[in-house]
Amino acid sequence: MVAATFSSDTDRKNAKTGALAIIGALAMLGMGYAAVPLYDLFCRVTGFGGTTQVATEAQANAAASFAATRDISIRFDASLSRDMPWEFAPTQSTDTVRIGQRDIATYIAKNESSEPITGTATFNVEPWQAGVYFHKIQCFCFTEQTLQPGEEVTMPVLYYIDPAILEDDTIADVEQITLSYTFHRAKEPVASALERSNSSSDQAS
Amino acid sequence: MRHAFKRFHLGIFAAIAALFAFAAPQAVAAQGLDRTEVLNEAAEEIEALTPGAPTDGTNVEAGAGEAAGGYVPMAPTPGKGMPTSYETDPLASMTFQDQYSQDGQYALWMHDTILLPVIVAISVFVLLLLLYVMVKFNRRSNPNPSRTTHNTAIEVIWTVVPVIILVVIAVPSITLLARQYEEPPEEAITVKAVGYQWYWGYEYPDHDVEIISNMLSQEEAVASGEGEQFQMAVDNRMVVPAGVPIRLQTTAADVIHAFAIPSLWFKQDAVPGRLNERMLTIDEPGVYYGQCSELCGALHGFMPITVEALPMEEFEAWVVEQGGTIPGAEVAADAEATEGEAAA
Amino acid sequence: MATTADNFAPAAEATHDDHHDHKPSFFARWFMSTNHKDIGSLYLMFAIVAGIIGGAMSGVMRLELAEPGIQYLWWFAGSDPADIAAAGHMWNVFITGHGLIMVFFMVMPAMIGGFGNWFVPLMIGAPDMAFPRMNNISFWLTVVGFLSLLFSLFVPGNSIGNGAGVGWTVYAPLSTTGAPGPAVDFAIFSLHLAGAGSILGATNFITTIFNMRAPGMTLHKMPLFVWSVLVTAFLLLLALPVLAAAITMLLTDRNFGTTFFDPAGGGDPVLYQHLFWFFGHPEVYIMILPGFGMISQIIATFSRKPVFGYLGMAYAMVAIGVVGFIVWAHHMYTVGLDVNTKMYFTAATMVIAVPTGVKIFSWIATMWGGSMEFKSPMVWALGFIFLFTVGGVTGVVLANGGIDDNLHDTYYVVAHFHYVLSMGAVFSMFAGFYYWFPKMSGRMHSELLSHLHFWVFFVGVNVIFFPQHFLGMNGMPRRYPDYPEAFAFWNQVSSFGYVIMAASMLIFFANLAYAFLAGKKAANNPWGEGATTLEWTLTSPPPYHQFETLPVIEDHHDYHDHRPVTA
Repeated sequence: MVAATFSSDTDRKNAKTGALAIIGALAMLGMGYAAVPLYDLFCRVTGFGGTTQVATEAQANAAASFAATRDISIRFDASLSRDMPWEFAPTQSTDTVRIGQRDIATYIAKNESSEPITGTATFNVEPWQAGVYFHKIQCFCFTEQTLQPGEEVTMPVLYYIDPAILEDDTIADVEQITLSYTFHRAKEPVASALERSNSSSDQAS
Repeated sequence: MRHAFKRFHLGIFAAIAALFAFAAPQAVAAQGLDRTEVLNEAAEEIEALTPGAPTDGTNVEAGAGEAAGGYVPMAPTPGKGMPTSYETDPLASMTFQDQYSQDGQYALWMHDTILLPVIVAISVFVLLLLLYVMVKFNRRSNPNPSRTTHNTAIEVIWTVVPVIILVVIAVPSITLLARQYEEPPEEAITVKAVGYQWYWGYEYPDHDVEIISNMLSQEEAVASGEGEQFQMAVDNRMVVPAGVPIRLQTTAADVIHAFAIPSLWFKQDAVPGRLNERMLTIDEPGVYYGQCSELCGALHGFMPITVEALPMEEFEAWVVEQGGTIPGAEVAADAEATEGEAAA
Repeated sequence: MATTADNFAPAAEATHDDHHDHKPSFFARWFMSTNHKDIGSLYLMFAIVAGIIGGAMSGVMRLELAEPGIQYLWWFAGSDPADIAAAGHMWNVFITGHGLIMVFFMVMPAMIGGFGNWFVPLMIGAPDMAFPRMNNISFWLTVVGFLSLLFSLFVPGNSIGNGAGVGWTVYAPLSTTGAPGPAVDFAIFSLHLAGAGSILGATNFITTIFNMRAPGMTLHKMPLFVWSVLVTAFLLLLALPVLAAAITMLLTDRNFGTTFFDPAGGGDPVLYQHLFWFFGHPEVYIMILPGFGMISQIIATFSRKPVFGYLGMAYAMVAIGVVGFIVWAHHMYTVGLDVNTKMYFTAATMVIAVPTGVKIFSWIATMWGGSMEFKSPMVWALGFIFLFTVGGVTGVVLANGGIDDNLHDTYYVVAHFHYVLSMGAVFSMFAGFYYWFPKMSGRMHSELLSHLHFWVFFVGVNVIFFPQHFLGMNGMPRRYPDYPEAFAFWNQVSSFGYVIMAASMLIFFANLAYAFLAGKKAANNPWGEGATTLEWTLTSPPPYHQFETLPVIEDHHDYHDHRPVTA
């Protein structure tokens, strides 16, 4: 039997391996946080979860020039978070639009409480695959909405369906796309509010 | 039987009570409280705890006007759309509920003719192998162990055969998924189920009807009609037409809930801030029960779902009775009008 | 940095028996321990205590579910018997506590902290773990985490009652806006502490296994238990930080106004589920892989045969670990995924059945042609193989996204994961316990009581969990404190099974008492020639410091026969 023992050499090796392992763990911790913006980005790019797209006027005009001859039905849905003493509903529950052409839909919101309330809307479309083809040019969901007690407003959504939808086999049997909004009582998040107001001023102009 | 179980309960109760001495000791007298009484009070409490839940909904009043020949809640058919107790039918209590949707029947077929035989066969096969080696290769019957540690052929077989089995399972599985995700046609009846802590709201956006659905207390469940089960029965059911596609959308107003009907093979989470949608077609009229299937807080177990499927005419009559409208020609005209507006 | 290198000098004598063991004083030995065997013992004792508490919680649950109606919960809630909300909240606190305790404070400490600490250094011929002081920190972080979880039971969870009633998954927004009380903060904090302890432990195991192996102990000669701990440590290292990030975001959402998972600020509650299950799925393999390793050792020992397909067994575990990271959304089939996502996760999930099948069949092939002896560890291992198979095949059923639409969040799922954990993981832990108890304590347990324990436990857990398949298929949702009359019979049967199971635990404790009071002294190797790994070359219990002279593993030894030539 050969006598052998660990030496200070092993110490150094251990410190190195241990440090690598800890770095690996910290990297995964970073990945955990990075998942938040990455997931957001992933949804925006792929329409995952029925995330809609934001389009500029120029893009909308370009799409309009490809306007197809097919129509598609759009359903408008409105929900409220439980702590929102508002009334919120689309002016019409469905509409038929020409694919590629821009259309406007309106929602009506009314503050039923006796205090001013700021709301913020989340949104998605069903079926999910339609998210990547659903382009909004202008939307009340880009900004927060503050309603005075008893105030009633009509809020527009300017949107179009990307003609590319006609070439997507996975969505060929979709006859109706539902656009859904949920109004929540706005929280003032530090970073994301800033980001949202930036992006909305970019897009809504 | 009951008494034997009761004794066991008390046994565990005593043992565990000692371990959980932190809970404040209670007046034991209360234990003698009648169960019905407790549950009735409980149901009242649910109502008290769910502000904004109008328990005397419009269609309860409508129910008062039944004499005029209006909507009468359908009596559930025993064994249909509900779980089966062991006492009624031991075998039925051990498997899935009968299915009343095409997808459900396909899924049930897949489970019963593919999955169940396969998993039983695998389990039995492993059990037999274990018994065989235990008998054949124990110390008495085989005192000199072999030193075999490799056999490429057998290793390939037990890798490839499971793969083949999985492919056999995957084909109907993918088919089932594709069927479940078929898109509802434009004219499908749209129903939106909204989860609240702790009740359901059903909205019919095309019919201008909105229903709030609370669980019935035990007393009410018994009184409301033959066959109604406590914890499944509700005051206002989600009434839908049978035989036509339903665009069933779910969302929630506070925390995540899940809309589930076992006898229709349907389950969809209701997530706050997003809308989920799936097509559901119920084959025939009937009452189908379900229960909230995502942990949503203290009364998670007490917000059941009752779906009543009716022939189309009766459904429309129900809509009218709720003060709703039947979408018809004038809606189409409206759509045309706005179309013109947008173009202008 | 302190390492074991300070603790031993090259010893002149070649014997493994250390005649001048100097053990520290009681306090220093058990509270400031840096000895892997002592820390392993601490972990095992801790896991037993946590297991008793978590098991008692499930006892309350089975008691309550024995009959329809709410009979006992109000007593624990300290509320009015008519207060169904308080009872319902109390129920949620029990299911949450049971889940968190069993996962984080029973199975993980016992498997990795207990058996891993004890036997990884012994099996690879190392004198101790690479970072003995960090090892101590890992243990005490786990203990403090457990105390934090217990403390959460006594502070308000929401307006209804004390304790965190949010489920072990802690889904937002139920865990954020839905449970404003501090109990949830303490529960989350307890996960932070236990998680930090586990990450440090994983670092320690990885370093130990990579750097501290005795000469000649190549990776491909390591016992499979060491392999299993290595894979588990990697899973811990990569999965737990994601949980830490997710629950930290929950904490800031709860307390500092962030909106990571709150739609009101642009967050998405579904993202929390993605993050949680990205951790949660590897977590289930974290709980079972060390069990796989122990079963391999035990089967080989008592069949007197080397493990069949050693490399396949080792890499099957690696495969399970890798695939375990890409199947997480099968826990979220009903959350509203699109069809392509569901098809992908259905297919990926089923793939896991292949390496798992390889393991099951390799165990059977190990016994094939062997000379099996049915000692206590072996019967538990045999029970494990069968019950884990049953739990595994129901997993194949649940893997199908379309089938899961009915079974999701029902008792079928409860039955499935208890078959793989309460029977898989726990059977392997009892197998490992009986296998190594003589080595750890130096005393023999009673074979009679061990067998009795096995049979009663086997019957008990099957009576508890098999009927739960029926309940789930028939539609009973999980996490329900009460149910319609139709579910009464199988619930009664299930509760009856709990009593049988509880009785078997009394046998277990009686066996422990017997071993410590009257057990025979254990020989170095009580299991005979099949036990070939290095720990059996040491005394029972092993000396306080072992392998002061490192053993050398010669090349010509076949896989699994790891004894040094001269030992």
